[in-house]
Amino acid sequence: MIQKKVCMVGVYGTGKTSLVQRFVHSLFSAKYHTTVGVKVDRKAVQVGDTPVNLLLWDVEGSTADQEIPSSYLRGAHAMFFVADGTRRETFDQLFDLREHARAAAGDVPSIVALNKADLKEQWLLTPADTSKLITDGFHVLTTSAKTGEGVEDAFRVIAMATVAPSSPTIQPPVRHGN
Amino acid sequence: MSDDGAPGTANAGASGDVSVRELAELRELLFGGERRQLDELRRRLDTAELSPEELAEKLPQAIVQRTARDRQLALALAPTVETAISESVRRNPHEIATAIFPVIGPSIRKAIAETMAGLVNTINRAIEHSLSPRSIRWRVESWRTGVPFAQIVMRHALVYRVEQVFLVHAETGLLLAHVPEGSDTDADLISGMLTAIGDFVNDSFEPKQTGELRTFAAGDLTVLVEPGPQAYVAAVIRGQPPNTLPVQLQTTLETIHLQWSNPLASFNGDCGAFATTAPLLEDCIETVLSTDQAARQSGLQKFWWVVPVVLLIAAVGWWWTRSARRWNDMLARLEAEPGIAVIRSERSWGKWNVTGMRDPLAANPAAVIAAAGIDTTAVVAHWEPYVSTEPALILARARRVLAPPGGVTLSLNGDVLSATGRAPAIWIVRAEGLAPALAGVGSVDLSRVSPGLPADMETLANVVEQQHVQFAPGADRLDVPALTTVTEVAAGLARLTTAARRSRYDLALHVVGRADPSGTESENIALSRRRAVAVRDRLVALGIPTTHLVVDAAGSNDPLPADVPAEFARLNRSASFVVRAQPAARGGGTERAR
Repeated sequence: MIQKKVCMVGVYGTGKTSLVQRFVHSLFSAKYHTTVGVKVDRKAVQVGDTPVNLLLWDVEGSTADQEIPSSYLRGAHAMFFVADGTRRETFDQLFDLREHARAAAGDVPSIVALNKADLKEQWLLTPADTSKLITDGFHVLTTSAKTGEGVEDAFRVIAMATVAPSSPTIQPPVRHGN
Repeated sequence: MSDDGAPGTANAGASGDVSVRELAELRELLFGGERRQLDELRRRLDTAELSPEELAEKLPQAIVQRTARDRQLALALAPTVETAISESVRRNPHEIATAIFPVIGPSIRKAIAETMAGLVNTINRAIEHSLSPRSIRWRVESWRTGVPFAQIVMRHALVYRVEQVFLVHAETGLLLAHVPEGSDTDADLISGMLTAIGDFVNDSFEPKQTGELRTFAAGDLTVLVEPGPQAYVAAVIRGQPPNTLPVQLQTTLETIHLQWSNPLASFNGDCGAFATTAPLLEDCIETVLSTDQAARQSGLQKFWWVVPVVLLIAAVGWWWTRSARRWNDMLARLEAEPGIAVIRSERSWGKWNVTGMRDPLAANPAAVIAAAGIDTTAVVAHWEPYVSTEPALILARARRVLAPPGGVTLSLNGDVLSATGRAPAIWIVRAEGLAPALAGVGSVDLSRVSPGLPADMETLANVVEQQHVQFAPGADRLDVPALTTVTEVAAGLARLTTAARRSRYDLALHVVGRADPSGTESENIALSRRRAVAVRDRLVALGIPTTHLVVDAAGSNDPLPADVPAEFARLNRSASFVVRAQPAARGGGTERAR
């Protein structure tokens, strides 16, 4: 059995927990976020013939004056960043978040989920923004916790990235909000 | 090598060049091999150093040979090795800690175990000397089973069960192994969360230190965490874990670090290599399973009958004690009863047998037995009649034989039967004859029984005797109220005399003079006499025959009782009257006194 520690990181209110709630196996309640600051869930993904258990450390969203504790990120095999496509500042903060994560966990595979793809009329990110992320080394997907769009893909992509981080086959399909 | 050709330098020209060349060739042919060897030797002498390759070749052998010869090498290397280690610790303590972790744990444990052994002995002694009810109970158990007391204490104190053991990768929090297998399908989530909580505690309360969450408890569940550099073990325990459990977990962890060092170092999410740690982890579960609970239960089951037997014995004992107490109480009551004497008492076949003697005038024994709360049908009593000389029985017998009239009270003082009150003269005469014949009566005293007067005389005598003639302090002269009183007395006495004559009684009127307590007694006697005489003289003057009058001087010795203390002195400055009457037919005898 392959297990991987994946940290889900994002600014407060980007919908991380919604992604987790609908698509993963949870044992602990959401109150762990407000008490311990992290909640561990499991997502089983099949990569080829190999079953992979992603242990998702759903870290409490960072705010302007509260940083994510480094100890929660330590030893992660991959980073799952979440940004809100309808809130530009969550996109801007991705780069700082990645630096913080890199300092704590080293250079590990990471993807960015641009969430809330269902809110097309409020979508603020442009194709240029997405390109900037890609050139900056991120794997980018658009997701919607509400419709489920792209979520399973995101978990599969990150599982593949952790099992074979150097695999050139990982080239996630990028779709724009509009 | 050109300097070697010095002999040829003196010849110039072509022929010279040829000879030199030929000579060189000749020399090469003759001494070529030796010459190269010579050059090599010279080079070695010039450089006088070993190449790294040569040193690598020679060093191990050289070390072995020198170490065998003396300690010089060790002495020479010691400072360097010390510096190297301290430098390594300073730069990267984690590396050294990881390397020596499997070694240092057992050493520390051994040292601590020796220290603790002394402490445990002290505690054992303390327990042995304690006298709590629990320790006494354990001591009895130790004596009963033959197991040393200290072991009994341990067995009772250590009731616990290790339910699960997790082996968790320290850095990622990923689950490496979990036993019992399949007992919890979410063990991976729990190990992740456990790691997160450990991080949380560390971040929150010890931000600058490298402490670890070691133990936490909820209800009777305890989670013990034994940390290691690359992995940690967490055990879930129900009950009170013993002090030996952390040590066992630590030993297991050290073994895992030693035998699985490569998989741990290169761990990248594949926990397949750690499946083989399961037997080690299962040892933790098997070894510490406490069997004490079951043993204690079987011990209890073996003695289940003790409780009802004890209850039965207690009930029988209570019943026996109660009936014995009632029996003794009944015997005491019978003994205390006048006219009843118990000679023998015993129990047989649920019946009580009592034999004794009873005065016919004594109380009914059956009533006494019933009053003691005993069923009279369970008592077989045999009473022999006898005459009791107990005072109560003598009195009862006297009442039965003499049948005293209502105004007479009988009492017994020693063997003297006394009677007080007023009775017809005929009863007094009969009692004087009968009483000495009663068993237990030695003599009879009827002096305090006054013969009753005819009803008309009694009324008139009462009128006279209720009169008091009052005097002023120190005076014996009759004043006007006193004269009036004396006149009334004279009239009453005249009527009484007429009635006495009709009933043929002889009369005497005693005039008793009194004085109040002030003054000397002799003066008071004289004063009281003068007062009595004054009254008597006045009565004589009023026509009462002197022969009927007697003067008594009581002084202040026999005062009249006063209802109010303030009245006492006034009441006793007086003269009062006592009527004495006796039948004219009889000479002397009883008289009436007040």
